[in-house]
Amino acid sequence: MIYVHKGETGLTKTRTWRTCVLNFCVFIALFLSIPAQASSQVEAANRLIRNLVGDVENYLLADSGDISKRTENITKLLDTHFDIPGIARFSAGPYWRAANEEERFTYTQSIREALIGTIARNFDQLVGLRFSLIDSQAKGKRMVLVRGIFRDKAGQRPPVSVGWRVITPHPAPAKVLDVEIENISMLITQKQENIAIIRKNGGRFSALIQAMKQRQQTQ
Amino acid sequence: MLSNPKHFKFRFLIGLLLTAFLQTACSSVPETQLTDQRDPYEGVNRGSFAFNMGLDKHVLEPAASTYKNTMPKTGQRAIENHLNWTGLPSTTLNSTLQGRYENATLAFLHFAVNSLTLGLAELTEDPKAVNSQDFGQTLTHLNVPEGNFLMVPFLGPNTSRSLTGNVVDTMTNPMSFLKAGDTAQTMQSLRPAVAAVSFRSKMSEALNDIKYNSLDPYARTRSLYYQSRAGRINAVVGKPNNNQTNDDEFESFFEDPS
Repeated sequence: MIYVHKGETGLTKTRTWRTCVLNFCVFIALFLSIPAQASSQVEAANRLIRNLVGDVENYLLADSGDISKRTENITKLLDTHFDIPGIARFSAGPYWRAANEEERFTYTQSIREALIGTIARNFDQLVGLRFSLIDSQAKGKRMVLVRGIFRDKAGQRPPVSVGWRVITPHPAPAKVLDVEIENISMLITQKQENIAIIRKNGGRFSALIQAMKQRQQTQ
Repeated sequence: MLSNPKHFKFRFLIGLLLTAFLQTACSSVPETQLTDQRDPYEGVNRGSFAFNMGLDKHVLEPAASTYKNTMPKTGQRAIENHLNWTGLPSTTLNSTLQGRYENATLAFLHFAVNSLTLGLAELTEDPKAVNSQDFGQTLTHLNVPEGNFLMVPFLGPNTSRSLTGNVVDTMTNPMSFLKAGDTAQTMQSLRPAVAAVSFRSKMSEALNDIKYNSLDPYARTRSLYYQSRAGRINAVVGKPNNNQTNDDEFESFFEDPS
């Protein structure tokens, strides 16, 4: 009995030792993987922003003022680098849940059109600016905030700080969800405006779609 | 009465306080019809916003356009410098009240040195080294609640706290104690109008975008005001307890599976 007991104790000790080593390895692996994951997340976001800025610069260089060509380029830019479904879902706020499939689809198309229009209208303002990346910070496991600054090459306009909220749904490619200008989020502004319109119309999501269509027709 | 600028300022302040009082005294919109929980007087506020939009259309936008097109860039820069300079005594006072003595000292030094040109030319090396501070931020520092959203005729978007801050800043600004007839006093009397035109001109693209392209210009203005104010407060005073940041909004978005 004593021998068996000793043997069991030895076995238990060996098992405990193995468990400790295993736990330690798992802990180390996790500990090392978190910064590695965050670093690859940040790297993906930085790469996306560099590519986006590069594309914008190329389009600006080629821009002849032809509105249809400009709209075509902006559409390409938006579809490649921006998370349109995410933007649609976020900007609809809590009313996304209540909307039916058709409303969701129509709204997503409308917000995409509205974004293209907004960027096309303001595209000229980007001429003569140079972007410098300042820093990037992981915000949880699925988002990175890439902060940078736009400086006027001629020094005529004051510098503008910009933050890009990039979603990093690995292994899917990183996409831009929001742009913050001087700490003002374009997406949150859109969401709050949309919520106001829906609430003014008795909570009808269709009222927002209607308002967006009317606005697009008058522009 | 109106010929005396001090009396005019007094009446202006009384007007402001009355507006604030009337706004709070008016019956509020039922909670189910609110488009934002922070804006219980939305009906009255939308009325004030319509008034401000009319003022913008007939006075401010044309004035800002003329200013932008006729005033040379150096002149615009000098006016902007002067407007920033007149805000430095308020920054000195509020930084002291908040215990930010380094900023208070910097603001005082910048004010003293640039007073040689009435603030029109920047004689100091880095004017951006001073963090502009107002009494609204001091109240935030003292944990005074933000209060409700108020759209004030002529002054635009505010909260009860920031409006109180504006009134106190105007009353405690040493520039308002200058003798009538002084050049500095004349400039100080013209300040609100000049500041409005300069701001409208500087922000013309952004403001015109709200005015002409927005689905609900009022809701957009309210959102922009809150975000801009929160950014300013968070940067200097720290995150206020009752203020949701942009990070919070995105966190709750990712938590929602729909």
